[in-house]
Amino acid sequence: MLSDWSYILAVALLGLVALGTRLSGAVLMAWVTPTPRVEKFLQGMSVSVIAALVASSLVAADLKTIVATGSAIVVAAGSRSVIWAMVAGIIVAAAYPQFI
Amino acid sequence: MVRNSEIVTISRAGVLRGMTRLLPICLFVVPFGIAFGIAATEGGIGPIQATAMSAFVFTATAQFAALDFLQEPVAFFSLGLVALALSGRHLIMGAALAQWINRLPAGKRFVVLMFLSDANFADTQMLLQRGETDLGPLLGGGLMLWITWVGSTAAGAFGGNLLGNTEALGFGVVMLCFFAATAFGMVRSTPSLLLPVIVAVVTSAITLPYLPNGWNIILAALLGGGVAALRHAE
Repeated sequence: MLSDWSYILAVALLGLVALGTRLSGAVLMAWVTPTPRVEKFLQGMSVSVIAALVASSLVAADLKTIVATGSAIVVAAGSRSVIWAMVAGIIVAAAYPQFI
Repeated sequence: MVRNSEIVTISRAGVLRGMTRLLPICLFVVPFGIAFGIAATEGGIGPIQATAMSAFVFTATAQFAALDFLQEPVAFFSLGLVALALSGRHLIMGAALAQWINRLPAGKRFVVLMFLSDANFADTQMLLQRGETDLGPLLGGGLMLWITWVGSTAAGAFGGNLLGNTEALGFGVVMLCFFAATAFGMVRSTPSLLLPVIVAVVTSAITLPYLPNGWNIILAALLGGGVAALRHAE
């Protein structure tokens, strides 16, 4: 069970990090000229962290979750919509127990 | 590019315009907010606490990722690094808007940046490219997104149990589908990101058994970023 103080500290940390990243882009630009390589690094990092979260969760996930996430990717490829991908994932996960 | 003689403002009409422009997009934010409210309360977080997190953090990806860390003992350092990696894109967006934002007085700069998010950034970027010099739509769009995000989190957190057994509906899977579809969309619009993504996926999966909570993701993100930067150099 998470204590109130741990939760408050965690939210304060997340809030400060989020605010810090929002503010620092404009602040830094007042001082430095960012190179295209730095932008590429940040862009690569932002997509990599998302992909790594998915991979890391799927390694430990049950078959239902893997099949649902796979369906979401297929629907995202076909529909170009994150929302439809999520809907597909929900439907597959809900329907999955009927098939085993 | 903004000309030196031009004054950048935040007009009330611009704020309202930004709010209406992003209204349709906000409809699609609602399911995310509800899903977050449900996922947070299922993870043992109170509805008020979950809503407060959305109000203060206002970053969907970082909030979903944070749920994995909210158990004793909290791995604060890893949590901070994952949050940093997930909201790092705000830094890029802030830098991209700097030539307009840095012409505002310091107080207004702070307020506008507080509500910086993906959708209002994209919308405002389009207006600024046309030569507009009003940052009202950036603030208005951000406010609209914030209100929707906080409101829909509250709806999910307080009303989630009205939906019955949400686990059976597969809401726990929503987060993964959201991340997977988002990463897929990013790679499709920028194909050079495919190699960094492959490196990140393989790294995080292989190192999961050997690294403490979250570190496999940090390592994967750093390697993915490094590969993207190296590829640019070629």
